[in-house]
Amino acid sequence: MHDALTLDARANHWLALALGLACIGTACIGYAIGDTFYLRLATEALIFGGLALAVDILLGYTGLLSLGQALYFGLGAYVSAVTLIAFPSFWTAMGAALATGLFGGLIGGLIANRVRGVYFALITFGMAQVAAKAIYNTRSLGASDGLIGVPVLDVNLGIVTVSTASPVGFFLLALGVVTLLYALCSYLMDTPFGRLLIAIRTNEARVPFLGFRTTTLRLGSFVLASCVASLSGALYPMLRGFVSPELLFFSTSGNAVITVILGGVGTLVGALYGSIIFTIVKSVIGSWTEHHLIVIGILFMAVVIFLPKGLMGLAQPLMRRMVHRGKP
Amino acid sequence: MQSVLKTLSVLLFAGTLSTSALAADPIKIGVVTPLSGTYAGIGQQVRWGLELATKEVNAAGGVMGRQIELIFEDEEANPSVAVQKAEKLFQVSKVDFLTGTVNSGSTLAVGQLAERSGKLIATTVSFADSITADKCSPNVFRVNARAGQQSAALAAWMSKEKPKAKVFYLGPDYEMGRSTVAAFKSNVDRVGGESAGEVFAPLDSKDYTQYFGQLRAARPQVLYTSVAGNDTVRLFTQLQEFGLLANMTVLGASGTVTAQNISAIGKAAEGFVTGVGYSAEVASPENKKFVEAFRAATKSDPDLYGADSYGLIYAYKAAVEKAQSTETDKLREALRGLKWSTPQGEKTIRAGDHQAEQVMYVVRVKDGKFGVVAEVSGPDAIGADTCTRF
Repeated sequence: MHDALTLDARANHWLALALGLACIGTACIGYAIGDTFYLRLATEALIFGGLALAVDILLGYTGLLSLGQALYFGLGAYVSAVTLIAFPSFWTAMGAALATGLFGGLIGGLIANRVRGVYFALITFGMAQVAAKAIYNTRSLGASDGLIGVPVLDVNLGIVTVSTASPVGFFLLALGVVTLLYALCSYLMDTPFGRLLIAIRTNEARVPFLGFRTTTLRLGSFVLASCVASLSGALYPMLRGFVSPELLFFSTSGNAVITVILGGVGTLVGALYGSIIFTIVKSVIGSWTEHHLIVIGILFMAVVIFLPKGLMGLAQPLMRRMVHRGKP
Repeated sequence: MQSVLKTLSVLLFAGTLSTSALAADPIKIGVVTPLSGTYAGIGQQVRWGLELATKEVNAAGGVMGRQIELIFEDEEANPSVAVQKAEKLFQVSKVDFLTGTVNSGSTLAVGQLAERSGKLIATTVSFADSITADKCSPNVFRVNARAGQQSAALAAWMSKEKPKAKVFYLGPDYEMGRSTVAAFKSNVDRVGGESAGEVFAPLDSKDYTQYFGQLRAARPQVLYTSVAGNDTVRLFTQLQEFGLLANMTVLGASGTVTAQNISAIGKAAEGFVTGVGYSAEVASPENKKFVEAFRAATKSDPDLYGADSYGLIYAYKAAVEKAQSTETDKLREALRGLKWSTPQGEKTIRAGDHQAEQVMYVVRVKDGKFGVVAEVSGPDAIGADTCTRF
């Protein structure tokens, strides 16, 4: 017996598989023609896709609009950069970023979850601004100039060793990390915990009557989202070799929200599709005209008006029909 | 499948070969500069300066018979965007050289990318000292004056005009404000000035009068400030209302009084002095010619960003002709120690840290306009070479 939500999730898994295969295909073509730029742009898209995934957990499942998710993305990036400069090890950096996400998420969650709705959006926005300003003015963290000099790493994965300088190698590594994050999130969203988050989004007042504490659930989803954002952020300095306070700025958080809405809220896989499309569109339009913000704003409005469920609103029903053809 | 891929890669390889073989192909210079957002005004000057010089060079036969082609990308004053765009220019457009980055974070991050991609970049705008000091890179050059040069020039002028002056410092309370004040203070100490005290006011302060008691009690002959934008407007008008400007010379950072806020400050800006690497008022014939050409092309006056960017194209031309190549290692050698002429006079790139040495100008506001009051020679202003990487 499966309910509609599980069926939706299955359709999403197929879409995620299609995305993964497309990525591997891209990697093969990129490797064959010796490309660097497009593979690294795609890697960046995946990394920001991880951030969008975090926003979707809060927005699409728990119904909380975070305008400051870049806080955890940026913290993860800074912690990873500082760790890598001192001790160049992939696993240490990822571990440190996870610890930052857990700890920072707990503190931020305890503060932000005291309020709801628009106030939640404002508090998350405010926390990110405070952290960004603090880093902007801390000389040991490079202040406004950011930190450069993150070394090129050799990541030992047991069977193979991947260099972060190799465009195709690091692309596949980032694909692996983001896939794991996606798998973890979509598994959790299909458990009773995930269902309760959806219940909170739908009607928070009724959840306590079913015998569940909403504060714990909300905190849980906040911490999950901050860990996902932080782990994605940890990949950024490995790709680009630097971090800067701009990673924590509102433009990063805002882009993540746009990405989720573009891809489809509450689908998880939509965040990844959205990020890839958004990154490509931004890169192409940015090179074409300096008025790219206007073009992106108009595209965003068009999506909100004509595709209220995002791109996944188009793809998901098709996929569901394909997957469950012949089944009742 | 494999044979298809092989053919494809052979074709692409042949394509790159044929492009590098043709000597008459244009030399591509990538420009990653803010064309939108807060720094769009600076990016505009960079663009105008580069385009004007490129037009002149191309009309005169180009560089070693090759025309220069500029390829612009918008960096949105964000290092993450700048690095992505720079990588595109390096890898896809295959530019020979790159310039344009404005904020220091972008210059440092793009410089690191250039180093890892084996290309050269130059900044014409960023003035953080670190770019050609502790964070110097063998692949990064700076053709404009850094913050240390501006402050050294100003201090040298001060020691001549107001020997042994008591100086009071008032800066905005954030990292850049504090480091600017600290840099000028160390220059003042070097030339024998005396500190009369310092205060830091929060950014966007509405009321500076709370610091005036301390300022008056210290009886300084000179006030140094590094506030900027609308903060300058409030500080200066309040100083004037309290009659504090009468017996005190106000010095400041180059961004304290600019074309944007000078009319709002009005009379209170009279007598303000700062050190800069360029002013459109410089009276040399080269500069007059440059300002006229710039006005004719853009209907605006050049500022230091426009002038430094204009000069860069000529530095590049001189270096390529000296090296007889656009190849990274040869060009780096040619740029080291290069002397070339610019609207500001002759500049030299110091081989030890890739910082351009140039005459610095001390300018003072008179009747609402900056005028040059003194020149400080290049060697006096450039400061020590602290780059240890090469």
